[in-house]
Amino acid sequence: MKKALQIALGIVTSVGGFLEIGSVTTAIQAGAAFGYQLLWALLLGTICLIFLVEMSGRFAAVSKHTIVDATRERFGFPFFFVVLVGMVLVAFMVLVAELGGIGLSLQILTGLGFPWWAIPVSFVVWLLMWKGTFSLIENGVSLLGLVTLSFVVAAVRLHPDWGGVAHGLVPTFPNDQKAKYGFLAVSILGASISPYLMYFYSSGAIEDEWDESYIAVNRAVATLGMSFGGLLSMGVLVTAALALKPNGIHGETFEQAALLMTTAFPKWGLFLFAAAMLVACLGAALEISLAIAYFFAQGFGWSWSQDLVPSKNARFCFTYTIIILVATVPLLLGVDPIKVTMMSMALTAATLPLAIFPFLFLMNDPIYLGEHRNGWVSNSIVAVIIVISFVLALISIPLEIVGG
Amino acid sequence: MDLVRDVLDKKLVDSEHCEMGRVDGLVMSLEEHSQPRITHIQIGGTTLWMRVHPVLGNLAAKLARKWGPRRAEPVRIPWSRVLTAGRDLKLHVKARETGAIDWEIWIARHIIERIPGGGHEEAE
Repeated sequence: MKKALQIALGIVTSVGGFLEIGSVTTAIQAGAAFGYQLLWALLLGTICLIFLVEMSGRFAAVSKHTIVDATRERFGFPFFFVVLVGMVLVAFMVLVAELGGIGLSLQILTGLGFPWWAIPVSFVVWLLMWKGTFSLIENGVSLLGLVTLSFVVAAVRLHPDWGGVAHGLVPTFPNDQKAKYGFLAVSILGASISPYLMYFYSSGAIEDEWDESYIAVNRAVATLGMSFGGLLSMGVLVTAALALKPNGIHGETFEQAALLMTTAFPKWGLFLFAAAMLVACLGAALEISLAIAYFFAQGFGWSWSQDLVPSKNARFCFTYTIIILVATVPLLLGVDPIKVTMMSMALTAATLPLAIFPFLFLMNDPIYLGEHRNGWVSNSIVAVIIVISFVLALISIPLEIVGG
Repeated sequence: MDLVRDVLDKKLVDSEHCEMGRVDGLVMSLEEHSQPRITHIQIGGTTLWMRVHPVLGNLAAKLARKWGPRRAEPVRIPWSRVLTAGRDLKLHVKARETGAIDWEIWIARHIIERIPGGGHEEAE
């Protein structure tokens, strides 16, 4: 029973991990520009993420080590340092984008410009981490996240052509705007396969004291949770295809993107969108701040647990305090969060090999995993994901310049 | 035992289960008439950055001399204090007496405890 509850909670948690400003804005822009044609990128991203999340959870449950622990231990400090710099830079940009997303949502709800919200938003995020336990963050925020289900409801209410939707799940090439198409495909994959989610998830498995008996729970959470998150993103894309594309709205600014739900829910669509974005970005901001602090603490061997009082793991708490403080600065200066989002999604794609490559070695290491090592199916899939990540890394920056 | 695989970069835990960093470096003694042997485990930023690049290592050493909380020398733990080398390296020492968690204590006392709700580092 306890495990059934954990599966349910885990599925809900994935809303916070999956649905955030990156996946929503990329899905909106994809739907607004190309209809259902880019659905395949969401499907591919979701499948990759299911496998990577399952592996990071299994790794933590069996070895009682996180992926970050093992990256330092197996590859040594110099390599770990390179991964640290890449991951923290990208995660920091995503954090700026999420905090900005909360601010933009509040701007819609209250009319007060988002730079005014930078300090209160950062303070609330920090306070939730300072005072809250891991399960409060994991479960409380994500239960609120159920409001994002309205994306799927909106899609269904607009009566999509299901044949066209199914057709979009198969990759096809567009007739024109090839660079933009490529850029959006890369950004969607970057938004879906976000490495911070794997670091957060494997640290969560340690915080929740998972052991080998949780292997089945982990598999269920990873599969159902990430599918659920992917489904919500697909709901966003389909809604954008039906509500924004026919009206020639590109969704490249937050104000345009906010019109997403107004066709399906004319009266309160705008507020529903703002509320859903607020919750999704809040969940993501918490998870990313924690993921960055976990990364430092695990890499350098500091004590870390979200459930301890702050002075018992001073360096861990100090890290997220500083990170959140610094992330507030660009928002105070009025940097456009949507631009930061699009840039960080392309950069996530560019640094993906750094995050994925260690998986191939760690997941086959008998010292950590014993009999729970990857089989040939999982290994082939990791190999395919590594190939995809290298291709993404090579094309993301040129595409950002040409198509973004 | 494989030194690089099983010792270097492993997490260090003291006799009270307190996490005290990782094995940042190993010190070997080379004497003329005997076999080379490991004498100490080294902990600290200087050792660590030296592994990435000497420039970074020297910079870290300089910064440590200037702003380090107590001592500038890297922390050395005698190899004889290693109890077990499994998933983590268990040491027969008390972390706060070694200097390995000086920064942790300094940040706790000077920053974290001064923020409301930060708690006290020494409380049980």
